[in-house]
Amino acid sequence: MNELAVLDLILEQELDRNPDVVFLATSTPPSWRARFGAGRVRTCPISEPAMVGAALGAAMTGLRPVVDLNRASFAFLVMDQLVNHAARIHYLSDGAYRAPMVLTSATRGPQQLGPQNEQCPYGVFMQTPGVRVAVPGSATDACALLRTALRDEQGPVLLFIAPGLADHCDLRAALAAEPQPFGVARRIRGGDAATVLAIGSAVRAAEQAAADLAAEGVLVDLLDPRTLVPFDTAAVAESVLRTGRLVLVDDGPRSGAPAQILSGLLDVPGLAEALGGRIAHVSAPEVPIPSSPVLEAQFWATPERVVAAVRRLTTPS
Amino acid sequence: MASALPADPALPPVDARPVDGFDPVAAYRTMVLIRTYEERILQARTEREVIGPVHPYIGQEAVAVGVCAALEPRDHLVSHYRGHGHALARGVDPDALTAELFGRADGLCGGKAAALVSDPATHLLLSSGIVGAGIPVAAGAAMTSQVKGDGAVAVVFFGEGALGAGVVHETLTLAVVQRLPLILVCENNGYQGATRTEEVYPETSVARIAEAHRMPVHRVDGNDTLAVHAAATAAVAAARAGQGPSFIEASTYLTRFHLQFDRPSGEHRPAEERADWLARDPLGRLRQHLLAAGTAPAVLDALDTDAEQRVDAAITFARTSPWPAPEAALTNLWAATP
Repeated sequence: MNELAVLDLILEQELDRNPDVVFLATSTPPSWRARFGAGRVRTCPISEPAMVGAALGAAMTGLRPVVDLNRASFAFLVMDQLVNHAARIHYLSDGAYRAPMVLTSATRGPQQLGPQNEQCPYGVFMQTPGVRVAVPGSATDACALLRTALRDEQGPVLLFIAPGLADHCDLRAALAAEPQPFGVARRIRGGDAATVLAIGSAVRAAEQAAADLAAEGVLVDLLDPRTLVPFDTAAVAESVLRTGRLVLVDDGPRSGAPAQILSGLLDVPGLAEALGGRIAHVSAPEVPIPSSPVLEAQFWATPERVVAAVRRLTTPS
Repeated sequence: MASALPADPALPPVDARPVDGFDPVAAYRTMVLIRTYEERILQARTEREVIGPVHPYIGQEAVAVGVCAALEPRDHLVSHYRGHGHALARGVDPDALTAELFGRADGLCGGKAAALVSDPATHLLLSSGIVGAGIPVAAGAAMTSQVKGDGAVAVVFFGEGALGAGVVHETLTLAVVQRLPLILVCENNGYQGATRTEEVYPETSVARIAEAHRMPVHRVDGNDTLAVHAAATAAVAAARAGQGPSFIEASTYLTRFHLQFDRPSGEHRPAEERADWLARDPLGRLRQHLLAAGTAPAVLDALDTDAEQRVDAAITFARTSPWPAPEAALTNLWAATP
């Protein structure tokens, strides 16, 4: 089940709320099967492509399937069903069919899962028209976005959850979270020195960095986009046009979400001129994630790296 | 000999007795429509009126018609890129289908899909362009029926080439264990594209592959409409009764070729093999059956004429349909929230 246990509570509430919600996973809670029946809580063989394909067929015919992919790396197993089929069916049928389905998975945490099982692949799905990509930076937002994903009908949702969100979970706030519209960034801190845009598990490190900088009198605008597709271009552009500096912070590779976000922002009139080259990245290197903690230590977006990036942009040369 | 069904004494013989309620004249009408339609679509592809590749179904009409005649409107269907026959057998509007193949605004999917059509009016969910990929989608539709208890079944058509795809085996496992009301219809035509299946499979009786997944199997002569229909009727009844999925292996043959772009394919099959299958053409066989049963030849000839006129009308409709507005390319990526 999910490493962010509070999400299971939300999912259980939604199963209770809507009889069309069904859950497919290779492991399901016995209490759910007892309560909702084996038809709605399906324990499946290890067959992620079949599970996602079945979720599509179920979504097209009136159910609200949720597939737990477990690790985000396993999203690569289901690319055909997800990308070529689920993400296409509304467009392909010119609006005749819709596919409201949710795929959940865990991204990176300090778990030493190594090159195959520890990845932040959401950047790949940003270039996949037809899927929405949610990468919340807090447990509360994760709960809110899961509720939204299960209730609206626009199409398939990928919900990428960082295991680290569990370490800073305000259980009461998370459980009380109301559905949160996709495409609305959260401003965590206000400031004019630089815009810091942090994604998923890197939000925590960026918050610490922003606090450390504030102690020195450097106030940054810290934003968490919460969803990458749709992306709140307006909020981020407003900030960047004001600060003239942008630091992109992610625990995934720079060529993934950060590169795509930057590319989209540079289309905003005047934004490239406002930045004037004052752009920095704090990301994982472009290699697989090694297992040894000593090796992996270089791959995290730490507060120190974020502080250094902001200083580089704000110090006159 | 490719024309004979592979011998397998371990499997019971097919019960090909006519099923009550089956109208063989109506079946003949639909089969002639499909044949006439496909001949004209191949011609229209040569003339570059049809866009994209055309994968003809000529020679396999008995499978689509025999299976679809066993279905009710509430049932769901998944097809693939060789799906004109399935669509017409299911009752998809020939005008909208043709306009789609022509890439026009009045097409079934607004010109976005070409042959990969969907049609909610007939519960045609998907015509996947990727071999085997529609099979789990049909399983999902079967899941919906199971959860909602609405008694519908889901049918998916595929060639035997799909048995090479891992997701198909995953779905067979899942469907059997979860007793899904799913009917898998394998159109075993002996070829995967231009490759003979016997060259690339260790086992050409795909029925045995399905049996290894503990799935009940019907093996039928896929050129015999009545035999296909009898098997489909039994499979649908079992699925509606909660007995789970069935697998139909319909042995058949593509009498033309795998696909055509601008020009007819230069693909060649052994002449003796092709002649042997042409002698067992499904339309000719059903016609002989009907004549033997006392149907007047003039009745069948009139159906041939009707089909020509219907296809003419569909082609005219497609030719006169406007091109889509360019801005339509950007619509319907996301569904609106109702």
